[in-house]
This record gives sequence, structure tokens and C-alpha cells, in this order.
Amino acid sequence: MGSELYAYALLAFPFLSATAIAFLFRRNGLVASGISVAAAALILATALHIIFRLENFEFNVHWIELGSFSVSFGFLINDLAKLMLFVVAFVGFLVHVFSLGYMKDDPNKARFFGGLSIFMFSMLGLVMASSLVTLFVFWELVGFSSYMLIGFYLGKPSAAAASKKAFIVNRVGDFGFLIGIIMVFSMFGTFNLTSLSEIFSGDASLLQTASVTAIGLFLFCGTVGKSGQLPLHVWLPDAMEGPTPVSALIHAATMVAAGVFLLCRTGFLMTVDALTVIVWVGVLTALVSGFTAIAQRDIKKILAYSTVSQLGYMVAAFGLGSLVALSGSGSHEHAIVTGGVAAAMFHLTTHAFFKALLFLGSGSIIHACHHEQDIFKMGGLAKKMPITFWTFTLALLALIGTPFITAGFYSKDAILALAYQQDKVAFSALVFGAVLTAFYMTRLWKIAFLGSPKSEGADHAHENGLVMTIPLILLSIGSIMGGFVWFYPEALRPIILIGEHLAHGENHTTVALFGGAAWAIGLVVAWILYGAGAKEDRLERTAKPFHTLFAQKFYFDHLYDWYVAKIQQRIALTLHFIEQIVLSGLIVRGMAGIAGLMGIGLRSLHVGNIHTYVYWFIGGLVLFWVLAVGIF
Amino acid sequence: MNDFASLVQFSIAVPIVAAFLTLFVKSWGRPAVQIVSVTGFALPLILALSLWGLYDPSTPGGYAFVSNLDTGLEMIGVSLHLGLNGVSLPLFVMASVVGLAAGLFAAQSKAENLSRYLFCLLIMQGGLMGVFASIDIFFFYFFHELALIPTFIMVGIWGGRDRNYAAMKMTIYLTLGAMLSLVGLIAIYVKSGAESFDLITLKAHLAEIPLADSVQNYAFGLLLFGFGILVSLWPLHTWAPLGYGAAPSSAAMLHAGVLKKFGLYGLVQVAIPLLPDGMGHWENWIVWLALGNILVVGLIAMAQRDLKQMIGYSSVMHMGYAFLGIAAMSVLGVGGVVLMMVAHGLTVALLFMLSTMVHHRTQTFEMNEMGGLAKKAPVLAAFFVCAMMASIGLPGPGLANFWGEISIFLAVYDFRNWLVYAVVAGIVISAIYGLRAIASVFYGEEADEFIESQKEVSVEDMSWAERVPALILIVVMFFIGFFPKTVTESINDALESEPVYAQVEE
Repeated sequence: MGSELYAYALLAFPFLSATAIAFLFRRNGLVASGISVAAAALILATALHIIFRLENFEFNVHWIELGSFSVSFGFLINDLAKLMLFVVAFVGFLVHVFSLGYMKDDPNKARFFGGLSIFMFSMLGLVMASSLVTLFVFWELVGFSSYMLIGFYLGKPSAAAASKKAFIVNRVGDFGFLIGIIMVFSMFGTFNLTSLSEIFSGDASLLQTASVTAIGLFLFCGTVGKSGQLPLHVWLPDAMEGPTPVSALIHAATMVAAGVFLLCRTGFLMTVDALTVIVWVGVLTALVSGFTAIAQRDIKKILAYSTVSQLGYMVAAFGLGSLVALSGSGSHEHAIVTGGVAAAMFHLTTHAFFKALLFLGSGSIIHACHHEQDIFKMGGLAKKMPITFWTFTLALLALIGTPFITAGFYSKDAILALAYQQDKVAFSALVFGAVLTAFYMTRLWKIAFLGSPKSEGADHAHENGLVMTIPLILLSIGSIMGGFVWFYPEALRPIILIGEHLAHGENHTTVALFGGAAWAIGLVVAWILYGAGAKEDRLERTAKPFHTLFAQKFYFDHLYDWYVAKIQQRIALTLHFIEQIVLSGLIVRGMAGIAGLMGIGLRSLHVGNIHTYVYWFIGGLVLFWVLAVGIF
Repeated sequence: MNDFASLVQFSIAVPIVAAFLTLFVKSWGRPAVQIVSVTGFALPLILALSLWGLYDPSTPGGYAFVSNLDTGLEMIGVSLHLGLNGVSLPLFVMASVVGLAAGLFAAQSKAENLSRYLFCLLIMQGGLMGVFASIDIFFFYFFHELALIPTFIMVGIWGGRDRNYAAMKMTIYLTLGAMLSLVGLIAIYVKSGAESFDLITLKAHLAEIPLADSVQNYAFGLLLFGFGILVSLWPLHTWAPLGYGAAPSSAAMLHAGVLKKFGLYGLVQVAIPLLPDGMGHWENWIVWLALGNILVVGLIAMAQRDLKQMIGYSSVMHMGYAFLGIAAMSVLGVGGVVLMMVAHGLTVALLFMLSTMVHHRTQTFEMNEMGGLAKKAPVLAAFFVCAMMASIGLPGPGLANFWGEISIFLAVYDFRNWLVYAVVAGIVISAIYGLRAIASVFYGEEADEFIESQKEVSVEDMSWAERVPALILIVVMFFIGFFPKTVTESINDALESEPVYAQVEE
């Protein structure tokens, strides 16, 4: 009793903040930002209280009942939710603080902070939701806040297009997600995650059925959309049109990881077939977006493709780990915790630290360089922005999995270990993905930070204030230490411990060797290929066809644009045309004929006078009345 | 006569009395007309809300607040039998909410002959309140006509582009629809031999002696297509986008939001309970035509350039969900439909109102002649985004719509598995046209035509006179979304006591 009050409070703070900003402080950016940051601080405090002081709990209250359909609004706080809660509240707070500096001079600051509060509200609801429907409700809301913030720069047509694309592509994923939810209810009669997992642990044969595979894959569609997996990853790089703090919080650390979180929440119903698909989608995503990242010039696009790639690792990790668990002991309890969940969540957590840091760092750079985003126009930033440079470097080292000293090494190691155990092909692909990661990040680092400035903006760059640098420093600690269990407080350990255990499991020498080799190869090749502060891309000259393929992002966008313009829109226009001609033209005339036959009289139609028509009508009614009275 | 039954009578009578009063006080000037008419809209809302508060959800399927007045037509079984049950009450309240919003918006509009415009609107409102409060089928139909006739007049006189053609087309279609359903209703009356138009009597009578299969078959067909035309069942929908495109906004709000629900309500409360076997015959028809509503009309909505027509098409598309929910014939499906009718009524009314506000600023409904409006009118943009998101069923602003939709989806899945894929595809389609509209109206750069028009009309943000009616609708939308049980309990109880719907549940 009482625990749920804290969960309610967690939702109330951002909700009240957003409401107050919308209705009272729309024009007062200063107050709005203050309220929003205060709400974020309260969220962090409350979340820490829930994590450290409260036992795991579940709380449900009836929300809607209609026939057999019944949904409860509720919270399910378990180890998984606590870890995610920590990530969201911690990164969320730091991004709020950072934004105070980043958005200082923006005239629409209030709208920005209001949007952040709406996002926090939705994301926290998503993390705590105890049933699939509640989760879906908040899932759609995070999508909405993301939409709002991507389109923050209203006047930019590219921002308008990107926000629209993000929402629609996500809806395509949600199409599957919603069908999955519907099938779950039709089959099991409940949306509640705990009840569902009890049903599954009570009947192991359920995991052999094709319909459960279908459910798993449909739910996975939601992940494909939200976490930017192939083939729906196209919205995420475009989402970088939003302000950079938004990219850090929503499109790197938290919301895009919600898809992975969803998998972990529903892991108990994933069959072997479904998991196999999940693994390969994740692996392919990791590779394709890794390749894409090596040919991008925009610093945020590189990071965005890197995010997509890392999300691929998490998804693959979940699949691989769950497969290991299913093929091993087969016990369900086991499958939930050991398998994918631990590895995926471990990487999700470390990734949240270093990728948020990378984005905030890039924001710091963009801010200092007067909105220059092309790395080939930067250069020499190391000296001009030392704190940004050093923190960015630490995060970068973590992302590329620098052996032994960074968080990224351990969390990636856990994934590689699972792959090694389960599937050698996937293992090789993921190792190769690690080479790519090291390659494109080294490229970015050397070109943007070393050498000499190549544009006016870069030349005038200088370090930002404390508001922006302190969050960077805090996140860099997480990026390095986040790989060690002892860094985490007791309450967060259970999942991390298993993740870490995987990294140190059998074969760990082999796996670490491969991981280390991948790191070294990527780093060295990029180091040789790109000069410090290079002006142009050497890869473009040396391997033109490949470079074009990567720079064009494997032509996914071309394909979709072609589909939308040439197929979808043409069908729509054709149907519209047919309707205008056939239905309005022919059938209406036909109708008029029938109407005439029915005695309404064609001539009255040609009079063109509504009143006449209305009189006919009233006349008819009166006639009916008279007839009725007369007959009986 | 039950307690508080007079409140129901008042809420029908007040708008009609107010309608005539507006004509009398016309000479006292515009403020007097405004005050009288707004009172005429506000009182029914207060009455409806009190009835909602007084309603006991455990009223076992029966009607509360029942009254029975003589009409002189007892010999044919017609009496003014009024009352509300769990299904009609939410719609009754919704009608009063939309009515007030439409009334407020109309009262401050620049319509010529304001008093006559408000006269028509108030008569319409009286009819609307009557439709949902009638237990007698004859009056159910009568009130519908009472509301429909002013619609034609308003489109014809105060309408926009193509108003004559639109009014004509609307009149032809809707009259045909109304006549078909009238024939169907009379057929039930004649063939049942109950000698009564009273729904409760008819139901009891037909429960004992059901109509012959063939009779049910054709009577239901008549009602289905009659009501279908009124609800814009594909392919009989073409009057709707055109009519709404041309209609003055308050009339469009009341028609699309409330009056259109007459047909669905008729199917749910009259046609199916009285002719359950007839429903079985026509099931496949409903399924395929409703799919046309969702997929074909949805795609057509994407091709629209005119904002108001696009909203019209989207509203037609949503009716497809409603038909499918009805076809599922379960408490869940039909309950979802009733919930969606309420939510959709509020949303579509809001969208029509906001699109008119957009028009006031851009002087056009052509979406590619606008652009960038959010910078000049951020509050309007916020309202519009909220309304559009609600319309496409985004939980949040559209939580109420979402509840309706997901109930229907679940029911449809149990009804026919494969259907759900086509139906849920609708959420993608609606996102596409909805977001395109937002992007081209509010985001990006201003179109040349818009820049041109600003030389004559300066663009300002929403005034309070505009915000109040919009807020009324939004607040109710949010309330129902967050507290759906306030509505679903009564719907559920009423449907559970209806054998046709309850039996499928088991």
C-alpha cells in the first residue's frame, strides 16, 4: 500500500509541468524551462526512491470494461522496469539540464520544454505499464511527443517532412503491434503481462504453436518501428531534424530503446521461430546501418545510423539469448532473466550513457560551430573545446568497445558471447559490425577534432558553459564505469550481473579476442585512411560504387519515396477519379432517375430551389400522417 | 411518468422554443439574439448532464426518465414516448455538448441573417435531442426529419462553394435514405401486427412471435440501405464530403457529429434487436461495403486537397469501423461502436470548426495554398493537431476514439480473423492523410497564395470566442478518454440486456 502513489507521482510531475506550460507559460520560456527541469529533478528523485526504497510491486485499477474486454491501468515495477526507469530518469534529467544551455536563445523555448515534459510523462508510463494496452497507449504517446519535437523547427520543410515520416513509419510498425495485442487478447483473454507470463510458464507447449509465433512476430513489428529495425529504420536518421537534446534523449537513449524494452517485457511468449527472425532482423540492421554510417558526412546522421546499428545489436542480443535459454534448460524463469533480456538491457543501459553523451557532445559542437553539421567542415575542435572533446572521446571509446576500460566493451562482449554460443554466422556478422563501428567513429573523431578548422564556424568555436558541460562529464562516468557491476547500486544489479556474467562466461577469451581484434582493425584502418581534419572523403575516391551505395543508404528512402509517389498516391488519385466520374456522375444520375420514378418528380430537381424540395418533404410526412389516420 | 422525465422533455423543447424566440427578439439587436440562442443550446447541456448524473446504471436494460404523451394518433400506435437507456444517454449528452459548441460558434459568426441561421440550428438541435430520447419509432424518425430539413436549408443558403449542387445532392441522397428506412420501419409495423410504433412493445411482441425470415430479410435490407445512405455507407457516401465541404461549419458540426449517428443508432437500437435474422442475411454485405469505407474511402481521403472535404472523407472512413463493429454483433463490438459514435461526434465537430477557423485566416480550404500557419497562430495549431490526432485514434487526445476503435478491432477479430488486417490498416491510412494535412496547413513555408491573402486579411491567433467552443469539445473528449467507465458502464448494461448482442458473448 502506498507504493503506487510514487508511481502516480512519477506521472503527475511531467503531466502537471506540461499542462502548466501549455496553459500559463506559453510565452515565458524562462519559467517554462524552470518548471520542466524541476519536474525532471523530481522525477529523478521519485524514480530513485522507487528503485532503492520500494520492493517490486504491481498495482492495477480497472480502467474500462465493455463486454469481455477489460483493461486495467496499472504499474508493474520489477527489476526490468527499475533498470529502465533509472535510465530514463537519469538521462532525462541530464538532457533537461543540458537543454537549458542549448536552447537558451530559442524563441520557442517554452514549446520545447513542454514537449520534453510530455515525452517524460509518456515514456515513464510506458516503462511502468502493467498491461499491453496501457503500454500501447503510452507507446503511441511517446511517438506523438517524438513527432512534436522532431518538427520543432516549424518553418523548415525538412523538419515537417521528417516528423511526418517518423509518425507514419511508426504507425506501420504499430499496425502489427496492435494486431499482436488483439491476438493475445483473443487467445488468452487478458492483456496483463503478469497473468500472461503465468499462463506461459504454466503451459510449456504453448511455445510450440504457430499462433504464438505469429503473436510474437506481430508484437515484434512494434519494435521494428519504434527501435528503427530494418526495413522501418528510415525514420530515425531523418528524426535528427529535431533539436539535438531531443536526438540524445528520445532518438538515442530512451524512446528508440523502448522497442527493445517491449521485447524484454514480452520475452516469455517468444517461440524459437519468432526468435530466429528477431535475431536476423537485428543482425542485418546492425550491418546495414553500420555500412551506411561510414559514408555519411553529417555528424548527427553518423550517430543516428550508429544508433540504429546498436539497436540492432540489442535486438539480436535479445533473440540470441532467449534462444540459448530455450534450447538449454528450457525452464521459463530461466529464459526470462538469463537470456536476451540481460544482454539486451545491459547494452541498452551502457548505450544510453555513451550515445546520449555523443549526441549531447555533437550538440555542443553544433552549438559552438553555429549550426554546422558537416564533419568535413569542422576540424581542429580538440583544442577549442577541451571538455566536449574529452567527454566525447570517452563516449566514443565506449561505443567502439575499447577493451577492458569501457562499458561498451563489456556489454558488447556479452552479446558476442551469446552469438558465439548460439550461431557462428551471426557471431561473425556481429564481429564485423564491430569493425564497422570502430571504423566510422574513428573517422568522425579524426576528421572533426584533429587537424585545423575548415570553416568559419569551426574557427570561432569555443567551449560551452557549465550547464552544458556538467551533464557531459556525468555521462562520461557512466560510459566508462557502466560496464562494471560494482558501479551499480544493489537494486539495479540483478540484470546487469547476469549480463556481466555472460561476458565473463565460457569462451570469454575467444570472444574477447575477436571483439578486441574488431576494435583494433576498424580503428587502424580508419586511422590510415583518413588524415587528421581531412577535407574530403578518401573512401569516396578509392571505392566509388560502394561509397555511393552506402551514402545513398542502400536506397531504402528511394524505394519508399517511389512507392509513395508512384504507387500509393496514384492509387489514391485513381480511386478519387473513379469516384468522381462513376459514382457521382453515373450513379447519381441513376439515383435521380429512381427518385423521379418514386414520384418525387424530376422537374422539381431542375427548379434548383431548396424550398420547393423541402415542401415536398413536409408534404410527404403529412401525407403519411393522413394515410395512417385514414386507414386505421 | 418517471421522476425527472420532464427534464428530457425540456431538453427537446428548449431549443425549439428558443428558435422561435430568436425570431422575436431579432429587432432588439444582435446581442439579444445571441443570448437567447446560446441559452437555447446551453440549457439542454445542463439538463443532459444532470440526467447523466441522475441515471442509475443498474436500470435493467430498460429506459429511465420515461414519459408518454398523447398525440392523437393512438389508433395507429403512435405516442410521444420519451426516455433514455444506457445506449441513448451517452449520445444524448454528446448531442448537447456538440450542440453548445456549434451554437457558440454560430452565435459569434459573421453569417448574414444571423437570427434565421440560429433559428435553423436550434430547430436542428431540438430534433437531435429528440432523436436519441425517442422510444417511439415514429417520433424517432420524425425528430430526425426535424433536424434534417434545417440542414438542407442551411447548406443551400449559408453554404460555401458549390452550395446549390451540394444541397441538392445531399437532399436527394438523404431523402432517399430516409424514405427507404421509413418503408422498412412501416414494414415492421405492418408485419409485426403489434399495432404499435413503440419500441418496447414491438420488441416484446417480436420476441414472442418473430417475423418470418423473408420479411426480416427485406425489411432489414431496407433499413440497412436506408440508414446506410444516412451514415454514408460506401458507395452511397458521395453526398457526405461534398455536403460537408459546402455546409456552414455549425451545420456540418451538428450533422457530421450528431445527426449522422441516427442511422447507426437505428441499426443498433431498432433494426438489429427487432430483426436479428435479417441481420444474418445481410452480414456479408455490411462487411464488404464497410471495407470499402475503410480502404477505398481512406485512400481517397489521401488524394484530397481541400481541407474540409478531406475531413469529410475521413469521417466517412470512420463509419466503416462502426459498420464492422455492428456486424460483429457482440456487446464488445456494438459497445465499441456506441463509444466511437460519441468520441467521433466530438472529434469531427471540432475538426470542422477548426478548419473553418483556418479558412478565416487563409481565405481558402486548398491545403497547398496555406502552409506555415503554426507560426502565426500557434494556439490554433495546437488545437488542430490535438483534434487531428484524436481523429486518427491516437491515445491521448483521442483516447476515447482509441477505446472505441480497439473494442471494435477486438470484436472484429473474433468475428472474422482475416478482417482485422484490413481494418487495422486503417490506422496507417488515417495517419497518412491526417499528418499530411497538418504538415501542409501548419508546417513549412507559407504558400504564395497565403502570402498574397495576408495583404488583405491579417492573421491572428485564436480569439477567446473561438477557443471556448473548442475547449468545451476537447475537455469532454479528454474526460471520456480518461474515465471511459463513466460511459461504458451504462452502454455495457444496456447491451447485455439485449439478447441479440448478449448471446454471442458466451
